[in-house]
Amino acid sequence: MWSVLLLIFFTLCIGLAAWLLFLWSVKSGQYDDIEGPKYRMLDDDNDKKK
Amino acid sequence: MLRCDHCLLEFAEEKAVFDTVKGLEKAFCCHGCRGVYRLINEEELGEFYEKRGSSWTPGPPDESGIDIPAFAETIKEKGEESEIDIFCNGIRCASCVWLIERLLLKTEGVKFARLNYATHKAKIRWDSSVVSLEKLLKRINSVGYTPKPVTQGGSDEFIKARRDLLLRFGTAAFFSMQLMIYTTALYAGYFQGIGSGTKTLFQLLSLLLTTPILFYSGAPFLRGSITGLRNLSFNMDLLIVTGAGSAYLYSIYQIFIGGEVYFDTSAMIITLILLGRYIETGAKARASEVITQLLSLSPKEARLVIESAEDGQQTAEGISNLQYEMAPVSDIKVGNLILIKPGERIPLDGTIAEGSSEIDESPLTGESRPVSKHRGDEVFSGTQNLYGSFVFEVKRTGEDTVLSHIIKTVEDAQARRAPVQALADRVVGYFVPSVLAMSFITALFWLFSGRPLTEAVMNSVSVLVIACPCALGLATPLAILTGTTRGASRGIFIKGGDVIERAKDIDTIVLDKTGTITEGKPELAAFKGIGISDNEALRLASSLELLSEHSIGKAIVTGGAGMQTYIVSDFAAYPGRGVKGNINGKAAFIGNRTFIESEGVDDMLSGELTSWIHAEEDSGRTAVYLSYDGNIAGIFIVSDTIRREAHESVKEIRAKGKDVIMITGDNRKAALSVAKEAGISENNVTAQKSPSEKAEEIMRMQGKGRRVMMVGDGINDAPALVQADVGVAMGRATDIALESADIVLMRNDLRMIPETLRLSKTTYNVIRQNLFWALIYNLVAVPLAIMGMLHPIFAAIAMTLSSLSVVGNSMRLKRV
Repeated sequence: MWSVLLLIFFTLCIGLAAWLLFLWSVKSGQYDDIEGPKYRMLDDDNDKKK
Repeated sequence: MLRCDHCLLEFAEEKAVFDTVKGLEKAFCCHGCRGVYRLINEEELGEFYEKRGSSWTPGPPDESGIDIPAFAETIKEKGEESEIDIFCNGIRCASCVWLIERLLLKTEGVKFARLNYATHKAKIRWDSSVVSLEKLLKRINSVGYTPKPVTQGGSDEFIKARRDLLLRFGTAAFFSMQLMIYTTALYAGYFQGIGSGTKTLFQLLSLLLTTPILFYSGAPFLRGSITGLRNLSFNMDLLIVTGAGSAYLYSIYQIFIGGEVYFDTSAMIITLILLGRYIETGAKARASEVITQLLSLSPKEARLVIESAEDGQQTAEGISNLQYEMAPVSDIKVGNLILIKPGERIPLDGTIAEGSSEIDESPLTGESRPVSKHRGDEVFSGTQNLYGSFVFEVKRTGEDTVLSHIIKTVEDAQARRAPVQALADRVVGYFVPSVLAMSFITALFWLFSGRPLTEAVMNSVSVLVIACPCALGLATPLAILTGTTRGASRGIFIKGGDVIERAKDIDTIVLDKTGTITEGKPELAAFKGIGISDNEALRLASSLELLSEHSIGKAIVTGGAGMQTYIVSDFAAYPGRGVKGNINGKAAFIGNRTFIESEGVDDMLSGELTSWIHAEEDSGRTAVYLSYDGNIAGIFIVSDTIRREAHESVKEIRAKGKDVIMITGDNRKAALSVAKEAGISENNVTAQKSPSEKAEEIMRMQGKGRRVMMVGDGINDAPALVQADVGVAMGRATDIALESADIVLMRNDLRMIPETLRLSKTTYNVIRQNLFWALIYNLVAVPLAIMGMLHPIFAAIAMTLSSLSVVGNSMRLKRV
């Protein structure tokens, strides 16, 4: 029984962590521009030659 | 004519500014363009010119000044760095984003620069001790984009709303996933037995996980149903809240008496419906941009001429000596004189007082050929001056200009468009009251059959729980998503589900002529040599026109493709009139009639030829004259050809029992000849309509109870596109047309119209079937609940089955 409770506790923690990560990603604006990145990917980054 | 290497505008050779950049000789229309070209290349950003390709729309940079103090307020200090969000005007494509970001990052002191392609907002972080904000903004401005301070704008609100929805949905989804673990255990326990302690623990965990879903994720529904109840209306929100809420409360009660819980029902209803809403909002993102774009066509400042010598004898050279000052357009009054230079947009409507030029009126008329304008001709706000300078007298300002009229028409039409009630909402209108009634009757039934009050209430609540169809929230959006994806893969872009609903009822299709039924680009239709053979005439003409940039010239070159051309010397172009050159030492001219006559070539056409030319001109075609060695040598008839598939498509649409109507700004004769070829009957042709008259015409048809689909491509079609029940923009349509349309066809192919009709009809049918599947399981389970025989397993099976049927049925659309 204790192992079950422990596992429940773990899943809740993992779920909570994933949720917080999700909250952070939305609030930091990662979903605001879903159009641009697909073009950005195609830009050759000349700067990296440095 | 040369083409500026920077702005791609055409300009006369004698005005060219030459420069050698990186060992290559480049030509520019002005010193400004030269400067920008050098700047971009010196910053090692020359790649920009390859990236943008040749489809770049030329236009002068927005010249409105930068108000530095306005930006200063929005700077955020973060330790040693400053951060600011700015709005960049003039971004058109991904290369603009690339250019601005690189330009900023190459500036010393800039730590971070990122531009959001969707919102045109840039975030810049820089070290203010190294570089000033002013310098950064000026750099952005120097390459032709105008930085604006970020104010609380519409797109901001939208992003916020979408973020909020995503947060609510994401939260609901995460908690639902956790909830499923315990629900599965409880279901297993229902069949195989479960210790009562464990059962209570799992039930309490479920309660813990469902609470945030209901009260955080479901908060908009709670608010919506309260507003609905105040207006005494049964809306979708109320159904969601009754279903989810009663399941939640019922389950809490069940925990205490040791029964079965329904937290999963409560959570899934909210999660699935939020998912549906999130899918829906995506497509409607750009609706409000139409008007902003139209407004950006007219400049904010103009060159106001100060008391010129009014002898009326000014020549084109005289114009360059005029005194003028820059004045805001809002201060300019009727009767003022405005100076317009090459490449500028015309700020207001008026008539040309001095000078002449060619004007690109395509934003207003959709007509791609430049129109030559002389003294006394009308010019319109928002159109672009191409070659010459001129002075015009302002006739209409502010609200009265043609452009303002179009803007107003679009605004009105958008505001008037009633929010289309989603089909699900209509079903809900009947469904909610009947469910409530049933649950009430259940309670009464059990009371009168002599059972205790608690049992009666429990049974009536279980009716509410089982009756709430959670797949209902997915039924419409999912079908629309698959339907629109299917359309997109074939080049049909449908903006939103309400469009599908309206498109299936269409009974009248209105087609614009130029660019829709016709190709929108001239082609050589016929030609005749005079005194020389036909082929020789074509050879001379295409040799000469090879150097011309004009669309009619290109038509002749295409017509003579494959012929060996002569070498042409002393080539010169006369915009709006024609071109000349020397071939084999003899002078050759090609152009319109007045051009040939003014060059001293006698018109020696036989009566037969003259009547042929007249007949062709009557049917909407253009005649071009060739002279060689002082004699008229050939006639070329250029026409805008009708699309090859036009006849077939019109036939197909009519076979579906829908009316096809043609509407055009052109004269009636030209319209009728095109209509005849396309198989549109004479009664269905409406000619000589201005943009707003086109919209009125559609309104008139709607007044007769018709449901109208409008197909067009120019700004001149924009009011009509918005007014129509469904507006369809074709292939190379102008931005404004694309924004005002509900459906965008990526290929210039009329056959896509019947296909669009078919697709929307099928999608609509799938929506209806989905609604059926979403409801039927619940309707079957309701009698069980009324009888008090509802086992939780039935609820679970009904929920799963209805969701699976909805998803499966929607997937069928992928194969339509």
